[in-house]
This record gives sequence, structure tokens and C-alpha cells, in this order.
Amino acid sequence: MSGEEEENAAELKIGDEFLKAKCLMNCEVSLILEHKYEQLQQSSDDAVNQVSQVFEKSLQYVKRFSRYKNPDAVRQVREILARYQLAEFELCVLGNLCPETVEEAIAMVPSIKTRGRAQDDEAIEKMLNDLSLIKKFE
Amino acid sequence: MQLHPRYFGRNLRDNLVSKLMKDVEGTCSGRHGFVVAVTGIENIGKGLIRDGTGFVTFPVKYQCVVFRPFKGEILEAVVTMVNKMGFFAEAGPVQIFVSNHLIPDDMEFQSGDMPNYTTSDGSVKIQKDSEVRLKIIGTRVDATEIFCIGTIKDDFLGVINDPTTV
Repeated sequence: MSGEEEENAAELKIGDEFLKAKCLMNCEVSLILEHKYEQLQQSSDDAVNQVSQVFEKSLQYVKRFSRYKNPDAVRQVREILARYQLAEFELCVLGNLCPETVEEAIAMVPSIKTRGRAQDDEAIEKMLNDLSLIKKFE
Repeated sequence: MQLHPRYFGRNLRDNLVSKLMKDVEGTCSGRHGFVVAVTGIENIGKGLIRDGTGFVTFPVKYQCVVFRPFKGEILEAVVTMVNKMGFFAEAGPVQIFVSNHLIPDDMEFQSGDMPNYTTSDGSVKIQKDSEVRLKIIGTRVDATEIFCIGTIKDDFLGVINDPTTV
């Protein structure tokens, strides 16, 4: 667990493993867990009773905090955010919290400004506008 | 994954996969956080018979969804309990405690049937089942769960106002 003391999501110090891993937004996890839950229901009645508490709590959580319910909208959100040279972690925090202003976005994900990719405010604003359009037309 | 010989036979692979899911889903570690769900099996290697017992060990490579909170991360959670020390919230399987020192000064604790924290003008209230946005400032992992400390004292943190209900 090297670097545990320096861990800081605000500076994107989350460890190599997680920087390279695929990050999922709540809405994406919701689709995955629901699909799995349906599979379990079909396989046998008993399986549904055996899901761990962790699974149940996670499913409830992502369903409640998914900003986008429609799978197509979810895909579009990822496509839009992917255009902006963000780390997976940053992309997901933005997709989950849906900040409305540039100021809010920078407060939520300070690393978009500090990691030297110099995302200027205009680019961030355009990205947030695109995201809110998807929500409107979901 | 270790398997007892009673499971060998036609259903070996299925038994291995369901044992994997039972053993691994729901566990947590400091490194990866909570394993929420196994999503796919990449590879099952050759089994190795253990000396002295009939058990066979199989190396299994699999994909899964994990939940790992990070220090400095901002996320949303549901309040589960409020008392004068602060409030507890849950984000999926993770418990988060926000001490009253890290709640804005203009919010005061009100005891009663539904203990809560309210601003002086009553416009913002935090109580059981409220949704809040908080920042994680510390994490602690023990054998079975991850516990976090959070704050709502920074900008843009606190109760989430759902625009559709306002």
C-alpha cells in the first residue's frame, strides 16, 4: 500500500492501479448491477436471497444517485466527457455530481486545473453545457 | 480458489465460479475497497493438488466492480443517523461520519423525534434520509468494512437540492 499517506483525490493521487483501471459512473454501475440481479433472479429463486449486503447496498445507492437513467444517455455522457482529456477518475466524478458551473466543477475536481493540461474555463463550460443538454432530453 | 473433491465432475467450472462469487463478493480490502460484484471470468488456470489433503487450488483471473473511497474525493451519501456529535451517512457499503466540527457553523443541532441540523433561518435541514454531498478527509479499513470521515464545510458541499422538488 505504498503512498497511502499521500493519497489525495483532489490531486489525482490515487495510486497507479486505480489510475489505470476503468472507472465507472453511478449510472453505469446501476446498469451492470441491475443486469446481474436479473440474471440471478432467472437462474434460481435462491440465488437472489444470497446476494451480499454489499451488493444490495451498492445497488440501492447507485440507483438513487444515478443522474441519467437511460442507457443511451449514459453512453452519450461518457462519449462527451471522453473528448476532454480527463483521467477516468475525474470523468466519473463529473458524471456523478453534474456540476452546473465552472466554479463548481473546479471545486469538485480540483485536479482538472492543476495537472498541467490547462483545461481553460471555456472548455469546461462547454462540457458542462453539453452534459446538461443530455439531461434535458433524456 | 480452493475446491474440495466433492465438487469435481461435470460441474467443476460452475462450482468454481459460484464459490468464487460467494467468497469474494462482499469482501473488502484496503487496496481495492469493497468487491461489489464479479462481472466476468477471464481465465481459470490448471489446478494444483495440495499435499496431504485432496483439495485442489485453481488460480482464477476475474473482473469485478469495486467501490473504493479516496481521501479528498467528493461524493454523495444518504444520512442514516443524526446526533449532537455529528451525523452518519452511507454511500453504498461505505459508512461516513461527519463531525459537528465539520458542519458549517450556521447549522445547529435540534434534538427530538427526528434529530437534525438546521440553519438559523430554517431553510436548510439535514436529517435521516437527507441526501448530502460531502468530501472524504480520511479513511480507515478494518477486516470487514471501510469507514470514512467527511466534511461538508467546503464550498458546494452539504444538502443536495433536487431541482425537481424545490
